[in-house]
Amino acid sequence: MKSTFAKVVSGLPATYADLRYEQNRKIRVVYEGKELSGVSTALTSGGHVRAYAEGGKAIASFSDPDRAESIAANTCAAAAQVGRSREKKLKLASAPVIEEDFLITPAKDPRTISLSEKIELATYYNSIILENPNVLTTQTVYDEFASRRIFVNSEGSVIEYELLNVGIFGMIVTKKGDVVQRVRFAFGGQEDFTPLIGREDALKKQIEKACALLDAEPAKAGIYPVVLDPSESGVFIHEAFGHLSEADGLQNNPSFRAKLQLGTELGKPILNVTDDPSIPGLPGTYIIDDEGVRGARTALITEGKLTGRMHSRETSAEFDEPLSGNMRAVDINFTPIVRMSNILIEKGDSTFDDMVSSIDNGYYLVGAKGGQTSGDQFTFGAQWGYKIENGRLAGMVRDINMSGELFSTLQATSMIGDDVEFGERGGCGKGGSGPMQMNRKSGKGSPHIKIDAVTIGGI
Amino acid sequence: MHDIIQRAKSAVDQAELYWNRKHSISVNYANYRLQQVTEDDVSEVSLRVVADRKTGMSYAVFPDQEGLLESAIEGAKFGDPATFSFAGPGSYPKVASYDETTSKLSANDLIELCEGIKKRIQPHLPDVALNVGAQLETSELVIQTTEGADAASKTTSAAYFFGAPFKGAGIGVFKFDLSVEAPEVSDELIERFIEWYQWGNNSSTPSTGRLPVILAPEGSFLLLMPLLAGVVGDAVWKKTSPLTERLGEQILSEKLTVLDDPLRDKDPTARIFDDEGVPCKTQTLVDQGVLKQFVFDQRTAAATGGTSTGNGFKRALFGSGNETPITPWLACPVLQPGTTPFAEMVKDLDEGLLITNGMGFHSGNYPQGQFAVQAIGFHIVKGEVVGRLDKTMISGNIYQDFLKVRDLSAETGPVSGFLSTGHSPYVLVDGLQVAGK
Repeated sequence: MKSTFAKVVSGLPATYADLRYEQNRKIRVVYEGKELSGVSTALTSGGHVRAYAEGGKAIASFSDPDRAESIAANTCAAAAQVGRSREKKLKLASAPVIEEDFLITPAKDPRTISLSEKIELATYYNSIILENPNVLTTQTVYDEFASRRIFVNSEGSVIEYELLNVGIFGMIVTKKGDVVQRVRFAFGGQEDFTPLIGREDALKKQIEKACALLDAEPAKAGIYPVVLDPSESGVFIHEAFGHLSEADGLQNNPSFRAKLQLGTELGKPILNVTDDPSIPGLPGTYIIDDEGVRGARTALITEGKLTGRMHSRETSAEFDEPLSGNMRAVDINFTPIVRMSNILIEKGDSTFDDMVSSIDNGYYLVGAKGGQTSGDQFTFGAQWGYKIENGRLAGMVRDINMSGELFSTLQATSMIGDDVEFGERGGCGKGGSGPMQMNRKSGKGSPHIKIDAVTIGGI
Repeated sequence: MHDIIQRAKSAVDQAELYWNRKHSISVNYANYRLQQVTEDDVSEVSLRVVADRKTGMSYAVFPDQEGLLESAIEGAKFGDPATFSFAGPGSYPKVASYDETTSKLSANDLIELCEGIKKRIQPHLPDVALNVGAQLETSELVIQTTEGADAASKTTSAAYFFGAPFKGAGIGVFKFDLSVEAPEVSDELIERFIEWYQWGNNSSTPSTGRLPVILAPEGSFLLLMPLLAGVVGDAVWKKTSPLTERLGEQILSEKLTVLDDPLRDKDPTARIFDDEGVPCKTQTLVDQGVLKQFVFDQRTAAATGGTSTGNGFKRALFGSGNETPITPWLACPVLQPGTTPFAEMVKDLDEGLLITNGMGFHSGNYPQGQFAVQAIGFHIVKGEVVGRLDKTMISGNIYQDFLKVRDLSAETGPVSGFLSTGHSPYVLVDGLQVAGK
């Protein structure tokens, strides 16, 4: 198949063309309460072509591999048409030609484990949750995604590579009177099956929190100093800053591009942020991206100053900045877009106690619960929180959301903890100029951090 | 009937094939420049089986793909006992959802459409980063079962959007529309876009406290999405819905009537059967504020002792498509309009908010009717819009705050944000909690 596809892209009327062909297997086991509501296997395959011609670009996804040749030819013609209408021609940064395979060999390979063993594990964790009398229902999901991909381009790269993520995650739903609360859990999220096993204690902690939340007070709206736990601050740096470091989003947004010149001071000298696909055992770890470029560590913020950005070959040429290997596609229905791998706030030197004791009236937010950004505006939820009163943690709070503006919030990040942790479930939604791609291969890590002022939504 | 259904007849108790093919062309302009042409031709299938009285599922690209039937049977070995039968022969309503001329449009036609939009906006807003796009999609959906269902539909959808971020800000104004036929971009929509963009040149932070709020059609998912989460059969079955025991009760203002209406002619989101091959119908969910009914797919209907309402869809808060499991969902929520012109609603407000989007909605406790979101929209003072909202959150609970609705506009528009289908007027609510200055 490799040589067939390599032939398809070799003689095209284009300055550059590539083709990615995937065979994917997704296994999903879903419990909803007591019911095993779904055991499914998805076997999907298909191709995606990208062509640059006369300074323009066109792309196409297709299911039928026999149509690859004619689709590639049409895509080149469409690219040329785009190019002829553009005064400013699109260019690609040069990248090494790679002829190598990158296959994955995890310690305990989920692809070799029987379906019944996977179901048994989901059943076990689900039953632990159901034992608690406050639990109204559950959602427990075993999720495995294995992708084998061929990448060929018109420059001679021929690469076969694999992606693999396996995890057990879900939701604990508790109820008391009219109050219903939801707390999430996640184990694994990377290529190895091992971290899925023996996690009863971690699960029980989440169940306890879901029960305790039933007696918690809702948060009170206003502007407060906050401490974020590693999960929440990982989402903060991912959502609020990370997306603005993806060069494709800035490419056609002149005002943000001007605000985010390399060297700009974004935070205090204690702030260091990196994107790193090479850290082993994380959700966003990979060797090669979906544009045939090796993934590289990028120092995004160094001592408070913007020092790097995540790029495609196209944006790397346009910004005249180094390649980073961040072009990734969720699956065959999508074109690669610039995405974070594992984004991380590097360790600082404050302790958690230092942070709490510095606040008279504020909140401690725990556990990411999803977030959303638009340019420099961000909002995200916490699974639970605590009031901070006179330098001490006070009562538990529920239904807590925070929002703010990136630049002032980074400047207001005044303390960084000495306790980095990574989340076990990856996940990121981004559309770019196309449809939303939900990518599980996206990791987030951080220590505890203190922010001097954010808007808390609540009653 | 497809071969695999024939083959399944001898191998399993029951089988259901869902097959979908989409051909789409889209063009995108970024900052007034043509950026990319995309052409996709993809198909996908899913197969559900009942084998040995247990259910299993599998997905693939083509119905004849090797392993499709075998994977479904493998899953069924571990599945829960089947509680319902797949759909039988059905009589499906008729809706105008396909237009031959539209199906033949090319990338050039879409480029022409986008150039037209550009030309009408550029003289008024020459130095904004305008994004424009258009998409044309022809889709076919077939559902066949061993029980005799043979449902097929063909839809054309032509959509366009245009939007631009406010200068130096992360948010902006975005307008879109879609139709079964080749779209015409109305002067009214272009004028409204230009007006709203100019409203946003300044930013403004409202007072903290309870303020009247107008939800624009695009922002009315803040009401409709929690309502959807409350009326769907799985939440009723599991008793996680706050509406579980409230049929026949006043749950919203008497000004609010909400239908689920999948049978709108020329609406590309129209559906004559759901993703289980059950015929769709127009249903009143809330009549003058009174809760009238819940919606069910086959599984949740069986669990609650009823029948499917034709609301089994492969949809979720995030994403839709083949691999999304079937769950009860609204086909197309429609909030009935009022008679007041939108402009008059604004004029009457001493201080209020016009909301076009709510960021972070999904991280709130919306299944219980609650929302706490970053407010995207405009600040109104003494009947005039004074600027785009800045540093503002709004929160509330639809079952408390939407008991007091002051007015509904005559104008309607498509809902967006966290709902992919639906239509709504502007909704003026008496008061929501605002965290601002």
